[in-house]
Amino acid sequence: MALTNDELKAAILKKAETAPKPQLYIKDFYACDPDSKPRVIKNAANDLVKEGKMMFWSSGSTTMYAMKNRIKDEEGEGGVN
Amino acid sequence: MAKHETPLLDELEKGPWPSFVTDIKRQAEKSPQCWDILGQLELSFKERITHWKHGGIVGVFGYGGGIVGRYSDLPKRFPGVEHFHTVRLAQPASKYYSTKHLRDICDLWEKYGSGMTNMHGSTGDIVMLGCRTEALEPFFYDLTHNLQQDLGGSGSNLRTPANCLGQSRCEWSCYDTEEACHHLTMHYQDEIHRPAFPYKFKFKFSGCPNDCVAAIARSDVAVIGTWRDNIRIDQAAVKEYIAGNIPANGGAHSGRDWGKFDIQKEVLALCPTECMWMEGGELKIDDAECTRCMHCLNVMPRALRPGVEQGASICVGAKAPILDGAQFATLIVPFMKVSADNEFEELIEFIEKIWDWWMEDGKNRERVGETMQRVGLPTFIKVMGLEPIPQHVKEPRSNPYVFWQEEEVEGGWERDVEEFRARHAA
Repeated sequence: MALTNDELKAAILKKAETAPKPQLYIKDFYACDPDSKPRVIKNAANDLVKEGKMMFWSSGSTTMYAMKNRIKDEEGEGGVN
Repeated sequence: MAKHETPLLDELEKGPWPSFVTDIKRQAEKSPQCWDILGQLELSFKERITHWKHGGIVGVFGYGGGIVGRYSDLPKRFPGVEHFHTVRLAQPASKYYSTKHLRDICDLWEKYGSGMTNMHGSTGDIVMLGCRTEALEPFFYDLTHNLQQDLGGSGSNLRTPANCLGQSRCEWSCYDTEEACHHLTMHYQDEIHRPAFPYKFKFKFSGCPNDCVAAIARSDVAVIGTWRDNIRIDQAAVKEYIAGNIPANGGAHSGRDWGKFDIQKEVLALCPTECMWMEGGELKIDDAECTRCMHCLNVMPRALRPGVEQGASICVGAKAPILDGAQFATLIVPFMKVSADNEFEELIEFIEKIWDWWMEDGKNRERVGETMQRVGLPTFIKVMGLEPIPQHVKEPRSNPYVFWQEEEVEGGWERDVEEFRARHAA
């Protein structure tokens, strides 16, 4: 049975916090709930960005997701280097 | 007054062609940060390495696309391009603007950005080149509130849909491309503004097989107008063309004398399927053989018109070169009615079936055409719930093997072969 929306969001956050790679593709979150459709997982991940718990990182052609404290920020402390 | 010496770039101003170096120098007189573009590019030419850093977390609140982070890796040396983000604006259907609107966009970009633009990006967006992070939100506020214009797509989003001039200007358009493009743009606002897919996804709408937005070469779903009855022929106009009373090609290419119009040489002999001929002074077409190349219609527009039963062919899976070279889209549905009367229901259902499959089976950074190539067309057709048709066949098969599905074989894969062999010796 598919997770509830809140359970799914918690699973996504856990994955984003603990995955070896800090920035993840949306497909990396599919394993958080194999019973949920990709579109449901995408919506939950995008909601987490809207809530300020995760962030998008985009190369321009692809978009990845990450926790705020793990994301690669070109304007991090000390500015652009 | 130039800020950097740019002898290598200056060479690019010497030819007879327009020069982007000249353009940037001109813009730099108004926006001094543009001098640093030239300085950094000159250095890249010398060192043969880029000094742009590509990508980032920049964006505007609530959106996950439309802005692409760009930074210099030498910000102290070139402070004008320390941040130089790209902003994509969704172009209006068919790219119709008033000059006032274009001026307003340019004024807004000179206020918040470098003033440099790229009209248009290959997806069709108006591309605004170069602004700092802190300028993004105020620019977006003014853009949406004062100019009523939105950002386009980027990243793993649905990209800004694009269409040709369609029925607004073109008599060949077999459906209303503007209506289709606008409707799907509004229908898929979430997919345009927030990432949804393993990679980018584009659809483009061309009204006829001339395909003026190059949908077949550049979009994941190409909706290309066509007809399924016969080309309409005005035999009197054909005679006028032959007599030289109507200029061929609508009078285009008239800068030199091409000689008398020769229908045999210029039309019949160039038909790729050789399905046209003259008989008793009349033009004849075997329409069943027509591949919609559009050449005859283009040459004799007053004599030949698309048929009356109009709709679109749907091709899937084009991409510009990435891993394996450029790939044209593959014809999947030869004819589909494309109409606002049912809110493009059939097209939307088709697109979403592709998405549901691709979101599940597509790999990261794999365009749908690459996924199709990986699994094979037979699998894709099955996923789409379509029956194979002759138009799907690229070439006659070159091996003698026939592949069966389990459900097509009596007893499936689990049957007892020994029991079978007892009755049918090998």
